[in-house]
Amino acid sequence: MNVELQLDPRRTVPAWLAYGTPVLTVLAALAVGGVALVALNVDPVDAYGVMFVETLTSQFGLTEVLVRAVPLILAGLAVYLPLKAGLFNIGAEGQLLLGALAGTWVAVNVSLPAVALLPLMFLAACVAGAFWAGIPAWLRAKWDVNEIITSLLLTFVAQELQSYLLRGPMQGGTGNFPQSARFSDAATLPPLAGLVPGGESIPLFADVHAGLLVAVAAVVATYVVMTKTRLGFEVTFVGSNDEAARQAGMSRHTVYLFVFLLGGAFAALGGIAEIAGSQGRFRAAFAPGYGFTAIPIALLGRNSAVKVTLAGLFFAVLFVGGSSVEVAFGVPAALVEIIQALVILFLITSEFFKRYRVGIAFDRRGNDAPADATGGDARW
Amino acid sequence: MTREPFLRMENIVKAFPGVVANDHIDLTVERGEIHGLLGENGAGKSTLMKILYGLYSQDDGEISLSGTRLRLDSPQDAIDAGIGMVHQHFMLIPRLTVAENVVLGEREPATPFRPDADAGGWLPDAVRSNSLVQSLAGRFSLGLDVPERRIQELADRYGFDIDVSAKVWELGVGQQQRVEILKALYRDVDLLILDEPTAVLTPTEADLLFDSLERLTDEGVSIIFITHKLEEVEAVVDRVTVLRDGENVGTVSTSDVSRADLAEMMVGREVLFTVDRERVAPGEPVLRARNVSATDDRGIEALSNVDLTVRRGEVVGIAGVSGNGQKELAEVIAGLRTVSAGELTVDGRDLTNASPRTFIDNGVSFVPEDRNRYGSAGDLSVMHNAAMKDFREDRFGSGVTLDYGELRAHAEALVEAFDVRGVHDVTDATAGDLSGGNLQKLILAREISRDPDLLVANQPTRGVDVGAIESIREAILDQRTEGTGVVLLSEDLDEIIDLSDRILVVYEGEVVYETTPEDADRERIGLEMTGGGDATATAGAQVRGLGGSS
Repeated sequence: MNVELQLDPRRTVPAWLAYGTPVLTVLAALAVGGVALVALNVDPVDAYGVMFVETLTSQFGLTEVLVRAVPLILAGLAVYLPLKAGLFNIGAEGQLLLGALAGTWVAVNVSLPAVALLPLMFLAACVAGAFWAGIPAWLRAKWDVNEIITSLLLTFVAQELQSYLLRGPMQGGTGNFPQSARFSDAATLPPLAGLVPGGESIPLFADVHAGLLVAVAAVVATYVVMTKTRLGFEVTFVGSNDEAARQAGMSRHTVYLFVFLLGGAFAALGGIAEIAGSQGRFRAAFAPGYGFTAIPIALLGRNSAVKVTLAGLFFAVLFVGGSSVEVAFGVPAALVEIIQALVILFLITSEFFKRYRVGIAFDRRGNDAPADATGGDARW
Repeated sequence: MTREPFLRMENIVKAFPGVVANDHIDLTVERGEIHGLLGENGAGKSTLMKILYGLYSQDDGEISLSGTRLRLDSPQDAIDAGIGMVHQHFMLIPRLTVAENVVLGEREPATPFRPDADAGGWLPDAVRSNSLVQSLAGRFSLGLDVPERRIQELADRYGFDIDVSAKVWELGVGQQQRVEILKALYRDVDLLILDEPTAVLTPTEADLLFDSLERLTDEGVSIIFITHKLEEVEAVVDRVTVLRDGENVGTVSTSDVSRADLAEMMVGREVLFTVDRERVAPGEPVLRARNVSATDDRGIEALSNVDLTVRRGEVVGIAGVSGNGQKELAEVIAGLRTVSAGELTVDGRDLTNASPRTFIDNGVSFVPEDRNRYGSAGDLSVMHNAAMKDFREDRFGSGVTLDYGELRAHAEALVEAFDVRGVHDVTDATAGDLSGGNLQKLILAREISRDPDLLVANQPTRGVDVGAIESIREAILDQRTEGTGVVLLSEDLDEIIDLSDRILVVYEGEVVYETTPEDADRERIGLEMTGGGDATATAGAQVRGLGGSS
């Protein structure tokens, strides 16, 4: 029997497909991830029940999700902003580490009250992260050096820098462990409960640190910049057609530097918030991968900063729920990585479905060569 | 006539969200006929042909070929039925040879595997005739000798001068088009659809194409020729069907109608081919370029020592054969290309090598030659594109903020004032959704609404339908009346002569001749465009538009 696939180029993307893509992508990734679970002799329904239902209904699970979401959302924005200008920031991980290093240095070397110390730590982190992201941006704007490669390679440099500093100059605390000294109380992010009006009455806020406010502020700032300012208009335009943008008198240099500097600063905030809010000290072994997970987050949420937030929350659930599943069923932690990878794969696949309408025909003729000369109009 | 025509399309209906692209269209084509399909951009020509070629399926209506009803679900169905199409954008793989491109998807196995015994011969028949071997050989081996011979025969038969073993990237545009036609002929088509085939060709190449088409029809091939150029209809087409707004306006023999009749059918009203230019006394010089030199993208000198002065209320036409520095000149005076020597002033201010932004702020508007690549961002909304240069103005918000409500109102006003069609919501429709003519109107609207001091328009009416051409030309002349200095670059000599107050001819990066439309001698201009006085008079005939109304 012959099976023939028919591809018709779409003229317009139907609304359900455009808006449903992120959801369908996630569902498809979970469905295929279920195959891996079955292979491990685990009932996928049980496992996903633990992963999502228990995580989202327990106080502990929700707290963990919000804490995890802080660096994920911030790093997601660090990829999202350059994406809007048509650039790929693959190095959010490095910018996050640099931010954490600079913030940690301030935290353990400066003694000030918390009101002054925390802002100073965050400022130092922003400067370091922006600097780290500014290098690929400048190279791209000035010399057209591919930012994917430079930002990725700088991540490795950042990792080595982390390893060196935490074993050498920044090593601290008791014993000879490769880690920084423990943060003082002044340098530790307080829980939300005391900061938000009425926060004490919400049990969830007792253990969620103030980094969440930073993340929310970054999301709001990104949203406002992209939808309410002239700079956001320029970013959108450069991202769509940089030649036309040049003819309209927009500066590619400015836009490239802006998105990378702001993105790098956001990633750095994610790094220092994680250390100062959750870890309490900077370990040389700290390699969270948030900056890499940020890539699927930004791709899933590429339509707006709000969607980046949702995608960040989803991955936080996936991480937290994933470790519960790991404990409850003894499945490898790699499962979460598999689902993460599947999300990216299905996102790429969905681009194809957005472009073509696919039909399947059985038993037509013995010809296995569909449209050749023609293939439809490449413009769609 | 009761005889069934070769191709019959009956009552074809095709609707897209928001528009009916084909509204009960009938079309018949006889064997061996060149049938024109004429209409403005967006009239439904391409949709109708995509239905015939199986790329779209019709909502209603029937297609029959030689009396047999066809169901076309894919281009493969169309090719099997003997219908081929040559797209405006070629579907060729540059790295492959002509023969490889032609056999793509229809390839034959390598010689030793061919089922006919005498071909290669060293494989035992038992192996060769094994169906598994056949199927593997068909997939994984490629025999080019037999197809090459056949393609060469086809090329010779139809008078195509082409080397079948040449790589496609080595060929010129006209030759690539012939490869596309060969691809169709190799599949034994009886009906060939050509989508605006001359849009990419030089006039000489177009003449060659027309000769080939006649040879094809002599052999019994029918041709549907999509175009919006009236002179082509007169030159090659036997009968023409005119579409307007998705409806069939009528089918006529070209010998029975005049160009003006066709234009009226196409646009739905009388089209003025002559433009009335009011007398405007030119004012102060707005642009002064002195001794300007510049290089092209490859770093080769494209402009040398050009002097150009444009006054307010004056249209200066720049004529020349494509590739003689017009693109670079336009970019230099729009501030998009740096000059290697010389100076440039706009309204007395020295803007030599200033940023594009400075030129914009000093009242220079620019209509680029390539509206998709430089003039608009296809993925973004009409609103974004309408405000591409003006979004910095105070009326669109204060400080760093941008008022999207105002942007929307601005875009809607432009769409309304310039009759840009196909936009129901300026924030929803993208620039890429617009047809060529409508996009060009949007770009012109954007540039003119800025009240420029200097308007630089490079090929503003290229690839645009008759109705849009008329309104674009009017808009340019209105600018002149309002005291804008206009630089018009065009390969259409009629357009230059109709619109300009002064005409400059560029050849190899230099201004070689200057005249006025009153004194203009087409022969002379043609000569200057192609290399000056020492060329022979026939050289002038190669220039587009020269065969016109002189």
